[in-house]
Amino acid sequence: MAPDLTSGNLVQFPGKGGGEPEEMMDENTVLVQRTLRSGQSIYFDGNVVIVGDVNPGGEVVATGNVVVMGYLRGVVHAGAGGNEKAAVYAFRMRPTQLRIANHITRAPDGDDNGPIVPEIARIKDGTVVIETFSSGSER
Amino acid sequence: MGEVIVITSGKGGVGKTTTSANLGAGLASLGDKVCLIDADIGLRNLDVVMGLENRIVYDLVDVTSGNCSFRKAMIKDKRFENLFLMPAAQTKDKTAVSPEQMRALTEEIKSEFDYVIIDCPAGIEQGFRNAISGANQAIVVTTPEVSAVRDADRIIGLLEKEDLREPKLVINRMRYQMVKHGDMMSIDDIIDILAVDLLGVVPDDEQVVISTNRGEMVVMNDSSRSGQAYRNIVRRIKGEDIPMMNLEEEGGFFRKLRQIIGLK
Ligand SMILES: Nc1ncnc2c1ncn2[C@@H]1O[C@H](COP(=O)(O)OP(=O)(O)OP(=O)(O)O)[C@@H](O)[C@H]1O
Ligand SMILES: [Mg+2]
Repeated sequence: MAPDLTSGNLVQFPGKGGGEPEEMMDENTVLVQRTLRSGQSIYFDGNVVIVGDVNPGGEVVATGNVVVMGYLRGVVHAGAGGNEKAAVYAFRMRPTQLRIANHITRAPDGDDNGPIVPEIARIKDGTVVIETFSSGSER
Repeated sequence: MGEVIVITSGKGGVGKTTTSANLGAGLASLGDKVCLIDADIGLRNLDVVMGLENRIVYDLVDVTSGNCSFRKAMIKDKRFENLFLMPAAQTKDKTAVSPEQMRALTEEIKSEFDYVIIDCPAGIEQGFRNAISGANQAIVVTTPEVSAVRDADRIIGLLEKEDLREPKLVINRMRYQMVKHGDMMSIDDIIDILAVDLLGVVPDDEQVVISTNRGEMVVMNDSSRSGQAYRNIVRRIKGEDIPMMNLEEEGGFFRKLRQIIGLK
């Protein structure tokens, strides 16, 4: 059965950020083949791959990794539930706010410069770092 | 069988009613039989913008509740005999009509018209759902402001859910000089986010306000830029391939104008 992933709270989490760390669930991945517009959201217990953009006002929350094969401008939360190993990948990384596990970051106010290249956000030494993504550099 | 086009935006005050009136008059001036439906129940405006307020006897709610036929409620425009207005009720609210009733009404009306244009209220609540329920096409109006574009994006998402796919975009109140100075979102910035087809760009123009206050439509004013923009949109709706009026042209136009009136 194909659930309507965009209608709201599909999957309930044990509370954002608070849960115990769990293993990455690579077998549990959903592919979303469209752009998430303002007001649309995806909540998923696993990894989320979006073939499209996440517009401002759109929201993706996943217990695993989030991959955006497009422009990420909305709010993204990877590792919701507490997984600190989760990462966010985006072809163009300009999120309104980016959360991994219980870490919350946003771009500095007014900072809209920097490269428009594929990037990866993940936790290193307790803080979220965003780096240029090149295949094979990790994992 | 006519096209039923809903004009919507999410955010209020961006120009839905202005756009509805001008597209209606523009299509009528080219000979199409057009019915404008004011779906903004409780806050009707379209009759005022068209200068027809004093002719209203029956309204949309009278029709949907079975008090009178749609032909009886419909008001003929004073300029075009093939342009008609179905006024909204002013003393009721949005819950006086259901989406099913609107669908049935537009179904009935469209068999007698080339175009049925529905002026949608702001918001995403029942008034919006009523207005879109009978439509088979949507035009989304936005201004070049971040908040309006955000709401347009939301609306496009909701339209897609209601199977009104591939809505067309009208960008209203564009101020080219501000874009040039980096103080306003450009057409490209907006299209980049919304990723829909652009139907046209209407400049911010005091002629719109002047016409509106007189109950006239700027599309009939041959010398105004906004009127030209609306005429272009009308022809694009009819399937003609009309190039966009572009930024440089606009600069050129103002420069030329300054020369004519003796400024440097
Ligand atoms: N291109 C324009 N240039 C200048 N003024 C404009 C332009 N378009 C609209 N306006 C003005 O903006 C105001 C709002 O326009 P309008 O009533 O068409 O918006 P609306 O989206 O229908 O509003 P509502 O959400 O309240 O129904 C009006 O005063 C109108 O004259
Ligand atoms: Mg209006």
